[in-house]
Amino acid sequence: MRSTSHGWCRAAVAGLVGILALTGCGDDTGSDGPVRSLTVQTFTGSPSDDAVYDTVLNGCGTQTGVKVVRQKVPTDGYVAKVLQQASAKTLPDALMLDNGDVQQLASAGALAPVRDLGLSTDGFAEGTVEAATYEGEAYALQPVANTIALFYNEDVLAQAGVSPPKTWDELKAAAKALTSGKRYGLAFSAVATVEGTWQFLPFMWSNGGDETNITSPQAAGALALWADMVRDGSVSKSVVNWTQADVNDQFKAGNAAMMINGPWQYPVLNQVSGLKYKVVPVPVPKTGVAAVTPMGGETWSIPNTGDRARMEAAAKLVGCVNSDANQIALASQRQLVPTRASALEEFIEQQPTMAAFAEQVQGSRARTAKLGPKWPEVEKQLYTAIQAALVGGVSPQKALEQAANG
Amino acid sequence: MKTRRAWRDTAVGILLLAVMLFPLYWIVNVSLQRGASAAGTDWFPTDPDLSGYRTALREQGGHLVTSLLIGVGSALFSVLVAAPAAYVLAQFRSRWITAVLFAVLISQMVPGIVVANALYTAYEDLGLLDSVPGLILADSTAGIPFAILVIRAFMMGLPRAVVEAARIDGAGHFRTFVSVVLPMSVNAVVTAALFAFLFAWGDFLFALTLTTTGQVHPVTLGLYQYIGSYVADWSTVMATAVLSSIPAVLLLAVAQRYVAAGATAGAVK
Amino acid sequence: MAEPTPVVAVRGGGQGNSARRRARAAQVLFLAPAVVYIVLFFGYPAVKNMTMSVQDYTTRAFITGEAPWIGLDNYADVVSSSIFSKAVLNTVLFTAGSIVGQFVIGMLLALFFRRRFPLNAVMRSLLLLPWLVPLIVSGTVWRWILDQDGGVLNQTLRGLGLVEANPGWLTSPSLALVAVVVVNIWIGIPFNTTILYGGLQEIPKEVHEAAALDGAGRWREFWAITWPLLRPVVTVALVLGVVYTLKVIDIILALTDGGPANASQTIATQSYQLSFQQFQFGQGAALSNLLIVVSLVFAGIYLWLNRRAVDE
Repeated sequence: MRSTSHGWCRAAVAGLVGILALTGCGDDTGSDGPVRSLTVQTFTGSPSDDAVYDTVLNGCGTQTGVKVVRQKVPTDGYVAKVLQQASAKTLPDALMLDNGDVQQLASAGALAPVRDLGLSTDGFAEGTVEAATYEGEAYALQPVANTIALFYNEDVLAQAGVSPPKTWDELKAAAKALTSGKRYGLAFSAVATVEGTWQFLPFMWSNGGDETNITSPQAAGALALWADMVRDGSVSKSVVNWTQADVNDQFKAGNAAMMINGPWQYPVLNQVSGLKYKVVPVPVPKTGVAAVTPMGGETWSIPNTGDRARMEAAAKLVGCVNSDANQIALASQRQLVPTRASALEEFIEQQPTMAAFAEQVQGSRARTAKLGPKWPEVEKQLYTAIQAALVGGVSPQKALEQAANG
Repeated sequence: MKTRRAWRDTAVGILLLAVMLFPLYWIVNVSLQRGASAAGTDWFPTDPDLSGYRTALREQGGHLVTSLLIGVGSALFSVLVAAPAAYVLAQFRSRWITAVLFAVLISQMVPGIVVANALYTAYEDLGLLDSVPGLILADSTAGIPFAILVIRAFMMGLPRAVVEAARIDGAGHFRTFVSVVLPMSVNAVVTAALFAFLFAWGDFLFALTLTTTGQVHPVTLGLYQYIGSYVADWSTVMATAVLSSIPAVLLLAVAQRYVAAGATAGAVK
Repeated sequence: MAEPTPVVAVRGGGQGNSARRRARAAQVLFLAPAVVYIVLFFGYPAVKNMTMSVQDYTTRAFITGEAPWIGLDNYADVVSSSIFSKAVLNTVLFTAGSIVGQFVIGMLLALFFRRRFPLNAVMRSLLLLPWLVPLIVSGTVWRWILDQDGGVLNQTLRGLGLVEANPGWLTSPSLALVAVVVVNIWIGIPFNTTILYGGLQEIPKEVHEAAALDGAGRWREFWAITWPLLRPVVTVALVLGVVYTLKVIDIILALTDGGPANASQTIATQSYQLSFQQFQFGQGAALSNLLIVVSLVFAGIYLWLNRRAVDE
């Protein structure tokens, strides 16, 4: 009873390997002669996001005379993938990076200073330049930026007779007044990832706190605001488990009257029929204090591939992506704000709903400005402290101290 | 009396299953409600909406085929490599055979992420990135050791008399293996192949690490990309999850009787 | 049935030495693919991991390829960090809780399904479904179910009058680990049930009939007869279970990211975060090596138990 499946299996596998070997990719690696095509790597966004970038990249490709081959990598694990590529010496010619990661990679020597390749950071919002600067040199250009602000449900606030809060005291009072039944007054993300720290930064910074010393009374004061609101029931304890997307869901469903979130939620919110919302800046400790919010958004860098011709071609491409026209294109269709002052006016004309954010972005601060590659460690300390203070029963000051000493 | 007690058992079974499978019901529930989320999902889809499935099929349909290729390939490869090894490890004994067994066990302890990172550079040099064979090989890291252990446990219980009879008849080792041992071990081999398929089907770590351009795009990767910082539509995500489970469910139904019939037969003795 | 004792090679033919050599050659050929595969796909990464753990391996090392040797500094750093003792405790609790839960429930279900009743086979197949769902999706759905305010679980518990306030399954540091263990048990039940059911099926009916004739009650029958016969299968299920559970990170990260405030942080998740969020790859490698050592201890126990079982 000879089993014939055995031989068949072998043939099938061999055939499979053979077929796939034949279709294996062979790309051009020739570095003599003019550069014909460039590999560009970006995050994987939503399908509409990707379409916008495809248009911009192809347009810039045509303009600079190269064919753009685009690779997409999921955001989670993006840096790990970049590091792998670095060690295998297969970094793309132009690399998109979240602005918080630029200094980390620059310090490792993976990126080339933009100045060496003929690009300039003049005219860009200061926060973006700071984020991309390591030891005095800028390593990336950021075309568009976003930040976070306070969203509120117009109908709910009108019904309760509450006006949008501007200061911390007003925020606490409003949140308390708006909490009723299943609905919490305020929702934000305090999750154990970069998102939790990101949402906390405007409160810490506006209060004068700084990431170089997270045990300062100013930082503790900001954390106390959050802890107090959780304690008096205006904010759900579940915030320690909610990502910004979850917070948005809660707001959408009417479980939160106000939320801290970013403009990328506009398309999702606009789909909800009957939801009327407005956006105001994040409340500040006292009247007259300027709100300082964190600067978000993706940057464009040129990795050190060693091939000078390709790097220069990539620099031209990056420069094109950062031009005024493209900044407006990228910003208006993706709910971001251009970073060039020259592009801002025209942009606000086209997109009045983004005016509040545009104002905030100009004053935003880079997360990595002061600590550079040491930021991830402090980032983790912050979200650990936040969680300990919100649900761990530890006082804000003590929570920050414990986290800082860990 | 058997009938009443039997039906009572069935009722208990249904209740147990209902509790165990509730989260899966919830996945289907969400997939049928547009705009569902953690904050607001009805217990029952009173107004079922198939748009999630339409989007999922449109965007992920092709990826299901890729996953299928990789899953089947990994299952075949795993049992091809594991069955002969299991035979030797089960029927023979020597110091270095014990060493190999130990090595198989140790291999189970290496975290997947350690393997994935090490493989990246190697795959880059060999040109195996973004390839179905590359993923088949990588996914078999879950299938092969497990298959060896399961098939071995079974083969240890094979009647020596039959094997010896074939050898006395002059059959070479290879023929003995193929004509006598394998047919007797069908249950264990099918079980091992099934588990290997399931491991590869659900793998996402290697899919993420060992692909760069999106040419080869298993469905688990598609799911992962949906769950980003702004999930516009959970029903699509859940619909994709349901769709990606269907082939596995079908395979399971077909291979089920082999699994029950004695994956570990012989190990008891 | 036949004795299970493995046989040492050569029989038949009677050619003595050359037959023995051919047998040896066949053994090597049969084992070769597996051994080559294991060395390449496990040995190489394991060695790389070990070298990384004694180097100062940061992002710079990926670019320049240089990573200075720092001996056991990484190990000293991770062991002396304040999170370490917590992570160790959580790992022990998580593993023990998961294994006990999966195994006991798996065993009860396996025993239950041994009875004959309508739809038995269908239900057994359906039981494997939790295993088929990608972990990302299971994690997300469980996160929703366990949500403190809107989650289905709390709604049910309140509705049944079992709890007063909404327990914070994923938000309370005291409950987070429990929640993660419960979800991990849920994921592990299909695997355990299948393996144990297979083992139970192999026990000859005559054994049970003899016990029934002797008047042994179900409880006694289980402990005195079934359990000893099931020992080899149980050993496989338990040891593999421990080794797999020690490595778990996906479900914990999906549910809590190790929070709140490290309440559900295990050695495995901490190793992952050290490497991929803090970019301290040397320390992450050191932690995962410690985990491998623990697994080794369990493997040693398996082989020792296995040898004893075979000898019986």
